[in-house]
Amino acid sequence: MEIRTTLFNEIAGKEIRNTYARAFLKAMPAAIAARREAVMSSFPDPDAAQACGQAIRAEVVARLPELLEQFEQNAVARGAKVLWARDAHEANGIVLAIARERKAPYVTKGKSMVTEEMGLNDVLVEEGIEPFETDLGEFIAQQLKRPPFHIVGPAINIPVEEVCDLFMEKAGMEEPTTDPVELGYAARLFLRNKFHHVALGVTGVNMAVAETGTIVNLENEGNIRFNKSSPRTQVSIMSIEKVVPTMADAMHLTRLLSRNCTGQAISAYVSMDSGPKGGGEIDGPEELFIIIVDNGRSEIYADPTARQALRCIRCGGCLNLCPVYAKIGGYPYGWAYSGPMGQVLTPLLLGLDRAQDLYRACTLCGSCREVCPAGIDHPSLFLYYRAKDVEGDRRLRGKRRPWKEFGFFDLWSRAVAHSTLWNLGVRLVRPFVNRYSRGGVITTMGKYFEGWFRTRNLPAIAEKTFHERWKRLRRDTVSGDPDGRRGEP
Amino acid sequence: MIRWGSMEKVSLFIPCIVDLFLPEIGEATVHLLRRVGVDPLYHEAQTCCGQPAMNAGYREQAKRAAKHFIDLFGDDDVIVSPSGSCVYMVKHHYPQLLRDDPVWLRRAEELSGRIFELSQYIVDILGVEEVGASFEGTVTYHESCHILRGLGVSDQPKRLIRRAEGVEFVPLPLADMCCGFGGEFAETYDYISEEMVKEKVESYLESGADLLVLCEPGCLLNIDGYLSRNHPEKKALHIAAFLAGTGRGG
Amino acid sequence: MSKEKTVGHSARDEILGKLKRIPKGAMLPRPAMPPLREISLDREQMVATFIEKLTREEGVVCRVSDGSEAVARLTEIAAQEDLRKVMVSTDTVIAPLGLPVWGRERGITVLTPGDFSTRDSFRDAVFDEVQAGITGVNYAVAESGTIVIVHDAHQPRLVSLAPILHIALIPTTRIVPTYEQAVEAIYGDTKDIPSHVTFTTGPSMTADIMGKPFKGMHGPRRLMVILIG
Repeated sequence: MEIRTTLFNEIAGKEIRNTYARAFLKAMPAAIAARREAVMSSFPDPDAAQACGQAIRAEVVARLPELLEQFEQNAVARGAKVLWARDAHEANGIVLAIARERKAPYVTKGKSMVTEEMGLNDVLVEEGIEPFETDLGEFIAQQLKRPPFHIVGPAINIPVEEVCDLFMEKAGMEEPTTDPVELGYAARLFLRNKFHHVALGVTGVNMAVAETGTIVNLENEGNIRFNKSSPRTQVSIMSIEKVVPTMADAMHLTRLLSRNCTGQAISAYVSMDSGPKGGGEIDGPEELFIIIVDNGRSEIYADPTARQALRCIRCGGCLNLCPVYAKIGGYPYGWAYSGPMGQVLTPLLLGLDRAQDLYRACTLCGSCREVCPAGIDHPSLFLYYRAKDVEGDRRLRGKRRPWKEFGFFDLWSRAVAHSTLWNLGVRLVRPFVNRYSRGGVITTMGKYFEGWFRTRNLPAIAEKTFHERWKRLRRDTVSGDPDGRRGEP
Repeated sequence: MIRWGSMEKVSLFIPCIVDLFLPEIGEATVHLLRRVGVDPLYHEAQTCCGQPAMNAGYREQAKRAAKHFIDLFGDDDVIVSPSGSCVYMVKHHYPQLLRDDPVWLRRAEELSGRIFELSQYIVDILGVEEVGASFEGTVTYHESCHILRGLGVSDQPKRLIRRAEGVEFVPLPLADMCCGFGGEFAETYDYISEEMVKEKVESYLESGADLLVLCEPGCLLNIDGYLSRNHPEKKALHIAAFLAGTGRGG
Repeated sequence: MSKEKTVGHSARDEILGKLKRIPKGAMLPRPAMPPLREISLDREQMVATFIEKLTREEGVVCRVSDGSEAVARLTEIAAQEDLRKVMVSTDTVIAPLGLPVWGRERGITVLTPGDFSTRDSFRDAVFDEVQAGITGVNYAVAESGTIVIVHDAHQPRLVSLAPILHIALIPTTRIVPTYEQAVEAIYGDTKDIPSHVTFTTGPSMTADIMGKPFKGMHGPRRLMVILIG
């Protein structure tokens, strides 16, 4: 997947004018958020339920190495082969080695964001092994070579006509149709054929349960189950933070994940694997490989502020409430992760320098923080990234800011700390600003603040600021007490 | 309601954008407080809470603002401000900014218990909802992000609005959706900001209300700035101006 | 030691080593959560809740008194759906019903996993030849109308996945209020954990095209449930 995080403004500028996507974004996230609200009420105390999810994920981060070891031990005891990869390159290499050895001409894949992060598909293609995304939305996005539009619906913005053309060209569909159900059925037939004969299935992991060594996957379509049932070899890939302590924790997170993701009480299928198939079973994998991928996360872990990013369960709840995402959709975020959770994770994985707009294009409204079942404080992380960028932090790859900006804030802060400077500054700036004013209203300031003035006016700087009005105001005091005491009315 | 002694010092914090662009809101705040029996202090050496620097990542610079503020307001019993984002900055961010210095940290933490947004102060601390306000017509309310989600204040302004004589309160569709100000965001990501404020104004028009009231000066500049250019017949008003009956709010 | 193994080993040590060097962070207290409402339901209420939830997900549910009525119901379904060839599990719910004989009497080919000597021949049959998969379940969860299946030699994974119609027979004695009861029973004894467990709530579905939800994606397009007892 091409990384386009430095093209945020260009892509967002284009997407915001896409009336089709805008109509979509106006309706869908709000609809999911409304359903979420309704289905969370199945908990007698929804706030406690959310707080419990947050506590589980906090525990995971606090106990991460110990839980990973426990998971590995139990998974291996059930016959799974657990392999570790320091980075995307190593992880891709492991998958490639397995695929080569089993002579798989193609693989079928369940939706896995970490494999998008790894760029696994490109590596497989280079090797002459064709990877088929089998989640319908991922399949469409993959065939169209588009990044994901939404964490849950990667291709929901694609018009039906385009999907129809695509399926006729690439999925063996014979009769044109714009009925989503018919299109879905065409995809089913095409991919079913792949499932039938596949030698190697690749899945992600929603949760890796330390207590039992079990990997858990949530889905609605059934494609992940096919990847776990049809081929002789199953490869399931997880990033390190996917571990959870117990089965009971996994069940609670299953409820929260489903509610936040799609507004469902539970996804249509939840499948749990503890090792490969048993001796007498006639289907299921003879070998189960679980690949645990770091790819920068142990670095994130070392940062006491940033490490909360590892709590994310990829539910997409934040996307559904983000007012910025609701205008621009998933493409501008430029990589596998979009919306507020992408704004949290991508700068840490790619570096603050390559993700400059991701943590700045935010009003800090806090809707994401409020809904997060994992307890991530997105706005405070964005402020942290901005500060580290200003400071040119080496580990996080802060870039530093233009010297003019630095100069401005430095000068400004000294004026803030010394009110005579502040008041002097106001008196100097006021005539300059107010020469643009007509009748107390400024409609333009030439080349200054063009963005604001394109659609908005601004009041002129007051002829008398509050500071300058205070003397008179103070004299007008009703109680006659200049020391501002609160007396009896 | 917290019971305060009868002689506590109530001090006013007037945000920088109110000082420069909307001083009438500051005046309205003073008139309103006096009407409910509070004659506030105003420390003339105050300037800005430091939010612009904080939001831009300039922590050292924001710290200077924080220390100046703490020094200035340190002796007051209560600080009241007609801005939720400034109150949030002081309560939430000052302790974080100053966490490496135990003395300043203690002072910041201690201060955070004594600073209130205006409507929160009037309703929760003074225990007053009837403030002598009046307005003939329908009024709706925009839930500013830092006030709603930062401070947990939502009920208080609406109670004050509802108690104004002649007012019929109508809900604002998508009331808690961000208006798109976000400080520097409004300029740097102008193309996104203007779509957000446009939708906020559409909600206002959809509500059919005669007037939109809000508690946050930044939101006011943004929304009223858009109204002034595109729908000049519609107005937005700061709650201080609305309650004090001083008209001009933006 | 092979090269693959050494590399894998050192990656593990390096990753865990890095993580372990960091001081343990803070945990949050687990809040007290009131029990889910379903916990206090009696059997009949659980059945009613289960039916309501599954029906909302477009599961087709009927109830019969015993095994022979269940078979009668299957006969009706077979006629209605024009079933000629089906795959059935040999789990503890299905095995006693004698479905292979039932099928022979009605001109329906009833295949079982035991009929196949290779996984490929089984796979071909369940993908291409059968019109329905008929299985029992281990548990049914009232909370969301979910059926829980523990897969093993008698209960292959593909029987409830590949055919376009899945018919599940559920003794009402196997209904539990919430997921936890099923999970405790299945995973409680850590020495005997099953390789594969599935939770199924209604037919397969997607909303990936234009956000328009519909039933029937890769998994079965329809789920029929016969509650027994």
